[in-house]
Amino acid sequence: MNSFADRFATTGTAAELRRIKEYVADDEDVSDSMWGSEAGFGTMAHGAPDFMVPSVPDPAAFLRLHTDDHADPSCRIKIKHGTTTLAFRYKGGVIVAVDSRATAGSYVASGTVKKVIEINPYLLGTMAGGAADCQYWETYLGMQCRLHELRNHERISVAAASKYLSNLVYSYKGMGLSMGTMICGWDKTGPAIFYVDSDGTRLKGDLFSVGSGSTFAYGVLDQGYHWDLTDEEAQELGRRSIYAAGHRDAFSGNTINLYHVKEQGWQFIGNYDVSEMHYNGPTGTQGYGYSVRVEGRSSANPPV
Amino acid sequence: MSIMQYNGGSTIAMVGKDCVAIACDLRLGNQALGISSNFEKIFAMTERTYIGLPGLATDVTTLHEQLRYRLNMYTIKEERTMEPETFIHLVSSTLYEKRWGPYFIEPVLAGLQRMPGGSFRPFIASTDLIGCINFAKDFVVAGTASEKLFGVAEGLWEPDLAPEDLFETISQTLLNAVDRDAYSGWGAVVYVITEDKVIKRTLKGRMD
Amino acid sequence: MASADGGAYSYSLTVFSPSGKLVQIEHALAAVGQGTTSLGIKATNGIVIATEKKSPSILIDDSMIEKVAIICPNIGMVYSGMGPDFRVLVARARKAAQGYWKIYGEYPPTKVLTQELATIMQQATHSGGVRPYGVSLLIAGWDITRGPSLYQVDPSGSFWAWKASAIGKNMVNAKTFLEKRYNDDISLEDAIHTALLTLKEGFEGSMTEKTIEIGVVTVPSQADLESGKMEGTGRIKPTFRKLTEEEIRDYLAM
Repeated sequence: MNSFADRFATTGTAAELRRIKEYVADDEDVSDSMWGSEAGFGTMAHGAPDFMVPSVPDPAAFLRLHTDDHADPSCRIKIKHGTTTLAFRYKGGVIVAVDSRATAGSYVASGTVKKVIEINPYLLGTMAGGAADCQYWETYLGMQCRLHELRNHERISVAAASKYLSNLVYSYKGMGLSMGTMICGWDKTGPAIFYVDSDGTRLKGDLFSVGSGSTFAYGVLDQGYHWDLTDEEAQELGRRSIYAAGHRDAFSGNTINLYHVKEQGWQFIGNYDVSEMHYNGPTGTQGYGYSVRVEGRSSANPPV
Repeated sequence: MSIMQYNGGSTIAMVGKDCVAIACDLRLGNQALGISSNFEKIFAMTERTYIGLPGLATDVTTLHEQLRYRLNMYTIKEERTMEPETFIHLVSSTLYEKRWGPYFIEPVLAGLQRMPGGSFRPFIASTDLIGCINFAKDFVVAGTASEKLFGVAEGLWEPDLAPEDLFETISQTLLNAVDRDAYSGWGAVVYVITEDKVIKRTLKGRMD
Repeated sequence: MASADGGAYSYSLTVFSPSGKLVQIEHALAAVGQGTTSLGIKATNGIVIATEKKSPSILIDDSMIEKVAIICPNIGMVYSGMGPDFRVLVARARKAAQGYWKIYGEYPPTKVLTQELATIMQQATHSGGVRPYGVSLLIAGWDITRGPSLYQVDPSGSFWAWKASAIGKNMVNAKTFLEKRYNDDISLEDAIHTALLTLKEGFEGSMTEKTIEIGVVTVPSQADLESGKMEGTGRIKPTFRKLTEEEIRDYLAM
């Protein structure tokens, strides 16, 4: 009769029914197909936890109505966007570099976001799009990778890990997940990078950049990239590329986090302030900034 | 995406003791893409009246020229310089002329008003894009970082600041506010206007 | 001049005569010369403008006649010549003053308003289908830039600033009288008395509060200026006002 009161009541027939449903609920909540195979994997562990959803006929549409700031900039919940991340493979391993800015609309919500997610000592994931989505699912991916190790007595391959994530996000397709990530690591096959996004795309490649500042990063990256880079050259290229994006893109910047994945696992190289890179550069001798480099020697103030 | 945020940029003006200050950032963007770090938004209209024009860049140039034209005509016709209070009314009427097709600018004005006794009184004001004047006694802000500027200025400003203290206050307010705004920054310019001189300083800001 | 009536150059359009004169303007000036006398005197602390107000019949309700007009809170003016032309110019002047206020948030300086009126009058000397205005004006006002100022505008559109001047029927005598009486540190009170004395010269009939009109500009004190705008209206205290009949009666009695 009063459906609103029924929904939240702790006694009565509706509540009774709810409890029964909870009791008999199947705890097999991740389908076998998620593993890309039906061969027994799905029975090994609890899968992805299930989520409370708004009690409306179409939860995804409801959420989109309140979170999609492209459709409605004044929406109640603003999901943080805007990023520059990159990763490339070369003879010395994988370089992963990201910025640290989080924006909500034009507001710089944070300048100290960790956009590289350390899945395990051999795997890194990068974060672009929804910060919470990336953080949650890549941490969750870490759990699954550890279970894989325990089950199979060997580390999961980058290909398998990325495929797990890709299948996982695909099962939520259309429900508003927003992720653009690169799963980077070193396995039996050597250094590897897979690009995975919330549309379900999964790509293997040597060089990727993701986020609003990716075009700027690609510019520097493409120009300086080749397979035989030394470690120092590769790290400098990663740093310099994120700097370019941080400088030009309004939604990227603050600091650069630089990682190097080698055979023995990943290594954190450092955190660099973008403005510091602009004026002084990583060694403090020569800034990256154009205006800094041409100081007194550009057409703006030509020699007399 | 609002047209007011298309190019980005912010301006602020503050009152001090027998002085005023006005400052702006230097960014010119094309939405998220930063184009120039040398785009000044503050213009000297008279010796003691400065106006900041944050908003759509094409209108910054056009409105500046329109105001300069009208100010020059006034100066020639009336054989006197225009006082800041009169000038803000001119700005207001110029903007309201385009009530149904406005310039996308929210001007900020700082100046010293010549008083009947020959002394000078600090004067600041701002208007919205169709010319509604806001006379403030402390500070006025405008641009994409206006909310952040309000917050920081509310915290840092105090009455009767001497020129050097006012410079420090307005500089820190601007630099810290634009660091929280994606569309403002890329350097800054500050003017401190006193009775006998105007000091212009270019500030180093974050470049991201 | 070609002939007594002005000849072919005296009709319709204002056209130069071969001798380089605009006869229509001279005729307009003649119309002014037939008008009742008006005068203005600038004092150290203000200005007085005064005029004779003469009704052709005792049956006319002379409380209706207004020859000294307030244009805006700081400016007023008086005329000699044709009443209807003056009325039109007053309307134009008030409109111009309000238009100025709309743009700049303050009323025009006396000189700017004078220029505006002079331009209007000048345009009537070279526009098609119109005749020159048949009036001369005395404009008195105060502004922050130039202080008190007194201007005269003629039908030709020319204007001058005066320390004291007279227009209309008795202007020659009145000016001579003023020249004798005027000095640079005359006070407003003295100027009002001088104005009355000057008017009295050649006044037809009896001079009473009903037959003259007086307007005064008062220079605001330093305190007035510093107190700034008035409470409520946000406007500056008016500096031009007309004297009431009572005030004029008192001055006449002195």
